[in-house]
Formats: sequence, structure tokens, C-alpha cells
Amino acid sequence: MRVLLDNTCLSREGWSLSARGIFAEGIHLVSGDTGTGKTTLALMLAGLLPPSSGTVYREGISSLMVSFQFPEYHVTGTTIRDECISWGVDPTAILTAANLRDRLDHSPLKLSRGELKRLHLACVMAREYDLLVLDEPFSSLDCREKERVCIEISHRTTGVTVIFTHEQMQFPRVDYIWEIAHGSLHSRGSIPGAFEVWEHAPEMIKKLIARGKVPENITPSDLLEAACRT
Amino acid sequence: MQDVRLRTAAAVLLCISAFYSIPGAVAAFLWWLIFTGRFAQVKQFRMMLPVAAMIAFFSIVLALTGGDGASYFIRMMVIILIGFWLYTEQKSGEFLRFGVWLLGERAGFELGMMADMGMQTLHLLIHDFHQIRLAETLKGINPLWKTLVPAGFVLVNGTLSRAESTAELMAVRGYRDGGSLCPEFITPKMDILSTGTALCVLIIALIPVSEFFILYR
Repeated sequence: MRVLLDNTCLSREGWSLSARGIFAEGIHLVSGDTGTGKTTLALMLAGLLPPSSGTVYREGISSLMVSFQFPEYHVTGTTIRDECISWGVDPTAILTAANLRDRLDHSPLKLSRGELKRLHLACVMAREYDLLVLDEPFSSLDCREKERVCIEISHRTTGVTVIFTHEQMQFPRVDYIWEIAHGSLHSRGSIPGAFEVWEHAPEMIKKLIARGKVPENITPSDLLEAACRT
Repeated sequence: MQDVRLRTAAAVLLCISAFYSIPGAVAAFLWWLIFTGRFAQVKQFRMMLPVAAMIAFFSIVLALTGGDGASYFIRMMVIILIGFWLYTEQKSGEFLRFGVWLLGERAGFELGMMADMGMQTLHLLIHDFHQIRLAETLKGINPLWKTLVPAGFVLVNGTLSRAESTAELMAVRGYRDGGSLCPEFITPKMDILSTGTALCVLIIALIPVSEFFILYR
């Protein structure tokens, strides 16, 4: 199971993004500044946007899902119950997971952006996909919810999971680091080797590396463990 | 065309011509072919096919009820092409400048700003609809008619929410009415030629063809 980018390039009106590499099974983190093309690349990985040149191969992938940054785009049900059913998941279990009990018959569009994001992510994470692309999954969430989502993502053991984010505080356990810089997608390799060359690494990780305290991964507990290491 | 005043004037003249008569519609279509070069881009405009289908439907109804369906179809399609050209040429802020130039810094500013906001909303709606269709495809929801109602809910809700936020923002910034602006326009010679030709098209549409040919009498 893998996604292969064979010399792909996307270009439009003075902007371009080139990408090559293999997204193997595991959790991949793609970081990059706003406007560098993270969403565009996410759509291309999922086959929703054809590249201008090159080819995207999805090998052994029979099911895929892309979670857009704005959860409203995914809404198809007029009630939260219908919305959960449209995802093929049990409404009661989802509402418990999203901490939205007693809201079954409410309109999903009456929820706040944060609540809707929680509901959406709970629906997405309740199912197994061979390829799961999460575009800015932490936007609109408070710290506690970010932490909860990170734990859920970290528990994914099968399939290819790709997280596109510019988040700098909370991360799930990841296997590979990528970043978009200077119009190209760069593979920084697996953790912990990737720390040495990760340009968009959060300040805290950079400081830890500078002090010779290399964290085991990038979850808050890994960073805390490294910081407290003597 | 770079000058929004001449572009709008040309579009109005051509639409009147096309609506008025078949010779006017043909002349307006020729103008569109010569001055816009938009033929290749029509294929990319997704709304073109459903709009053409809708006009064709009404044309058939008109024909069946004793009207001139073919004439209606031709004239309306030319108007749609002109409208499509006007829409694609539009740049952000142009209506505001045009409004202030035409009606001054109070009513003109208000109307221009509203028109610009309307265009911005239209662009966002198209983008949102595209994203919604992608999300529905991922969920496996097809065919199109099944997706239209939920998509409509999301689009209306999003548009109202954005409008409310914009209104609140403007109120917080102390906006009451009107504003000052010194509109500037670039008017290339080609724009003047295009508008002049559009005026000729209107004359062709309004004056019977026989009036042009003295020998015909």
C-alpha cells in the first residue's frame, strides 16, 4: 500500500509545485507555510486534482478519504443523525466521541465551526481507509481537542495517513516528515533523522535538538520527556 | 478590454442588440468572436451546458405554444455569451471605481461596493460548490440531483454567515455610507474601437437592414 509521486508538477498563473517521492504505509506529516500548496497537494494525492505533468500512482489503495480544512463542505445531512449515517457510522457512538450528546436532531450547520470540526473528524476517524489525507485537521480546535485528535491519529496502525498542517504546538506520533519549500515537496525522511533537516520544525523541537536532546517523536509527551531528560 | 466603463457599455449595447432582433444577435455574436477571443474558454465554463439546456427547454416550450423558439434561443444564447465574457473580464474593485465615476462618492460608492461584494460572493460560491462536489464524491453521494439540496443548504448558510460577518466588521469599523475614492482608468485605443463597433452593432439591430441599401428600395 503506497502512493507514488512520479515527477508530478502542478502549475497555474505564476505558481507551481513539483513533487516526487513515495508515501508508504504509516503516518506522514507535511508541513509548509500558508499558500505553499498543501491543500493542492492533498487533492492531488487523493486523485481529486490531476497534475499538470507527471503521474500519481496509488498502489494497493482501495478506499480513501480527504478531510478538508473547512468541515462545512462535507455536510450532506440536514440533522446530525443524518450526517453520521451519511458517513456510515453509528450516530450515538460518534456523538459521544465528539462530546456532542443530546444534539442528534440538531442541524449540523447550527454547530459552531469547532463543534462541526469535532463531529466531522469523529466520523472520519471512525472508519478505516487505506489512504487518509487530513488537511489542517487541527484548525478550529482548542488545545484539549487537538490533543484528543492527535491521540486518535497516533492509533492508526494500517494504511497511509498524510497530515497537512502548519500547526506548531500539538502533533500526533508520526513516522515520516515532509515539507513544502521553494515550490517543491521535500522528503525529510523518518524520525528522528528528519529533525536535522526539518526547516519548518517548531521552535521547541529546534531548541531541543540544539541542546542535544533528540526527542523520540513529536508528540507533546515525547517533547516533554526530551526536555526533562538530564 | 481594460476600461470597465467601455466594457460595461459595450456589453449593454450588445445585449440590447441581441435581444432586439436576429440580425442584432448575429452581429453581436460576430463582435464577440472578433473582440473577445473567448471561444476556447467557453468549454471550460461549466455552467454553459446547463444554461444552454435551460434556454433550449424554454425555447421548445415557446415553439410548441406558437412562439418563435429558434429566434428566442439564438438571441438568449448570444446574451449569455456576452454575460460570460463580462464576468470573466471582471477584476476586483472595478465596479467600485465605475460606480464612483458614474454616480459619485455616495450612491455610486454604495452601489459599486455592493456590486463588487456580489461578484466576490459569486466567486466564493463557485469555489465552495466545487469543494462540496469533491466532498460528496468522496462520500460516494451521486447522482447530481441528490447532492443539490444539501449543497444548497451549505451554500446558503455559508453565504449568510459571511454576509453577517462582513456587516459586523463594517459596523465595527464605523462604516455608515459612501466613501472617498479617486477612480482611475486605462483606456487603450482598442477599447474605444471595440465599443464603437458595439454601437454599430446596435444600429444594425435597431434600423431595418433595408434602410442600409438605397438600391433595394
